[in-house]
Amino acid sequence: MAKEMIAMLLAGGQGSRLYALTQELAKPAVPFGGKYRIIDFPLSNCVNSGIDTVGILTQYQPLILNEYIGNGQPWDLDRLHGGVHVLPPYQKASGSDWYKGTANAIYQNISFIERYDPKYVIILSGDQICKQDYSDFLRFHKEKDAEFSVAVMEVPWEEASRFGLMVADENDKITEFQEKPKNPKSNLASMGIYIFNWDILKKYLEEDEADPNSENDFGNNIIPNLLRDQRRMYAYHFSGYWKDVGTISSLWEANMEILDPEHSGINLFDEEWKIFSRNSGMTGHKICAGAEVENSMITDGCRIKGKVRHSILFAGVKVEDGAVVEDAVVMGGTVIKAGAVVRHCIIAENVTIGENAVVGAMPTEEENGVATIGAGITVGDNAKIGPKAMINKNVEGGEEKW
Amino acid sequence: MVNTNTNALGIIFPNSYDALVPELVNVRLMASIPFASRYRLIDFILSSMTHADINNISVMVNNNYHSLMDHLDSGREWDLVRKNGGLHIFPPFAEKGSKPYNGRVGAMAGILEFLRDQREKYVVITDTNIVVNFDFKAMIQAHIESGADVTVAYNEQELPESFLKSESNDKGYYYTFGIEDGRITKIYVNSRKAGIQNFSMNMFVVERELLVDMINTAFVRGDEFFERDVLLPQLGRLNVHAFKYEGYVARICDMKSYFDENMKLLDEYNLDALFSGPAIYTKIHDDNPTRYIGSAKAENVMVADGCVIEGEVEDSILFRGVKVGKGAKVKNCVLMQGTVVEAGANVEYLIMDKNVTITAGKEMKGTNTFPVYIGKFQVV
Repeated sequence: MAKEMIAMLLAGGQGSRLYALTQELAKPAVPFGGKYRIIDFPLSNCVNSGIDTVGILTQYQPLILNEYIGNGQPWDLDRLHGGVHVLPPYQKASGSDWYKGTANAIYQNISFIERYDPKYVIILSGDQICKQDYSDFLRFHKEKDAEFSVAVMEVPWEEASRFGLMVADENDKITEFQEKPKNPKSNLASMGIYIFNWDILKKYLEEDEADPNSENDFGNNIIPNLLRDQRRMYAYHFSGYWKDVGTISSLWEANMEILDPEHSGINLFDEEWKIFSRNSGMTGHKICAGAEVENSMITDGCRIKGKVRHSILFAGVKVEDGAVVEDAVVMGGTVIKAGAVVRHCIIAENVTIGENAVVGAMPTEEENGVATIGAGITVGDNAKIGPKAMINKNVEGGEEKW
Repeated sequence: MVNTNTNALGIIFPNSYDALVPELVNVRLMASIPFASRYRLIDFILSSMTHADINNISVMVNNNYHSLMDHLDSGREWDLVRKNGGLHIFPPFAEKGSKPYNGRVGAMAGILEFLRDQREKYVVITDTNIVVNFDFKAMIQAHIESGADVTVAYNEQELPESFLKSESNDKGYYYTFGIEDGRITKIYVNSRKAGIQNFSMNMFVVERELLVDMINTAFVRGDEFFERDVLLPQLGRLNVHAFKYEGYVARICDMKSYFDENMKLLDEYNLDALFSGPAIYTKIHDDNPTRYIGSAKAENVMVADGCVIEGEVEDSILFRGVKVGKGAKVKNCVLMQGTVVEAGANVEYLIMDKNVTITAGKEMKGTNTFPVYIGKFQVV
């Protein structure tokens, strides 16, 4: 049975710029927004857009991600035909190889795609926070009779040189592609989300694989080759919320923006476009007598006795008496003990912050770092963690880390 | 084959004691009454059964059961989508001339063929007006070790005030036991006795084949109630054992106890007592986390996901998706799913059923001894 469009989700990246957070975790599995993981966003977008077949390409530290995806039921992707499939590199009669690049990862799964005989394939990236209707993107692709379309965002001109840019004419037809250019000719940044006609994609993947000098990358190889051959390429303008959360500071910022949906553009309180996730199954959260909670998001299983200001708390976080949590992202199961102060930081899952310890500091003009504590770490009583610190080993009581 | 399944099937009576809380069951039944910010009463029994590897469960719905069907769906949230067993919902089997049943005997008589065909050796029978994180494995083990014909769970507690005061039996029957050496020697029906009692939890373990025989005989005799008509007259002949439960128990016996049992969970000791065991599963709503905005204040509250709090909430239980507007004050309230307290409103000692709205600036107060209930979809 043929599918009109299936999705291939690139989730193999190491996310090395998230350092302590991705030591044992693929980037798409990084927790986000109180009860989600990053991958919930593209998966929910797929389901909400009517895509019921998704291949997830994994390579780096896939265990937690695999378990999280499971049979896909939380996203309604447990289907008789299609559904969600995790696709790690595998051994073939002709040999085996890691995924060498984004294009090679898809190339190695051509036979997976062909099982569904799709007309179109959408390539998604597992490191973005975005609510996007892919069916509208496909409508555009069909209207333009395109062979390849890419979703683009207008970015401020002064920042344009940080992005891969699409130069397009008044009909949105792409004429040129510039990868992080010094002199940008366009401010249309590629979001790394592509729709291909499957026959075209297959042809270019095979051609790319045959080229020993290729980096097997969509941005560096496939798109330039399509341009070279003057394929029908179009830029689809997207204007909703989109954030690449590939760095500590952008991840922190994207979390903070949830606290201000009136201005930041991402609204998780959207009955029409729910973001699905695997549920913690904990009881409602408890705000105890004497606690203070201000401008924050709090979810199931939390117990709050101290002060929480402008922060995101994930499932089962405990904030003990007299502790202060401010401008912080505190992930599931973490305990902030009595009198500890955590500010302007990201604390990963199942961390213990000891009594009266201090983590991070409110930003000043000279210093605006986001202190980061990796999963499962214990920070001893009275320890002090500076605002630039990146902690992935236990910190003894009273110790200072900068 | 590794035998991981407990050799028992479950039978749940979701309509038992509906008459005790007429307002709450106006649009539902006992089993689907919301409790503890994100659960419904049946979640506790179902989850306890699942954790005891009882995964062939029959729910004997009698009336007003649409909300329960919606809640249970396929049973997936409780891991009850199974090829062998799983969740069965049995509505009354109506034929021309058949009368609706009143008690367990009639209900189980309707599924005798099903019960005969099952393979489990034991049957566990329960109601749903009792909130427990119950260890059914321990109870079945005790049943086997004692060699009893029937084992009934009880706890030691005083009868609720409304039971002591009530002068008629029209709201149904409750049972207390006289026990000697673990054996039940007396069953008292609606005893109205003050002081600590051996109060039946209406949970039974019995061998399936014995149960089929008992029900068959009783139904032919025209009996209705399992405890009153089947166990009580046969106490001399049957070996009926008592299983004392010492864990946390919340019983819903009237509107006041519904309010009080919710509020009791604001005490961390009680909360831990009920929830520190295996997880209690419930239907997933995929709500986002709860948001506290601007000058919101929250103290001593239990809150589910999906709420937006801009006003002040104190000493209250908030279910999923509750909205409290700016300057609104909520104190000592149970606010069920989707209720809205608009800006500047002031409410105290209310039980607001689903999707109730208190419009801006309104003031409404019940009292500690008489919390006011507001029905589903009402706008005040």
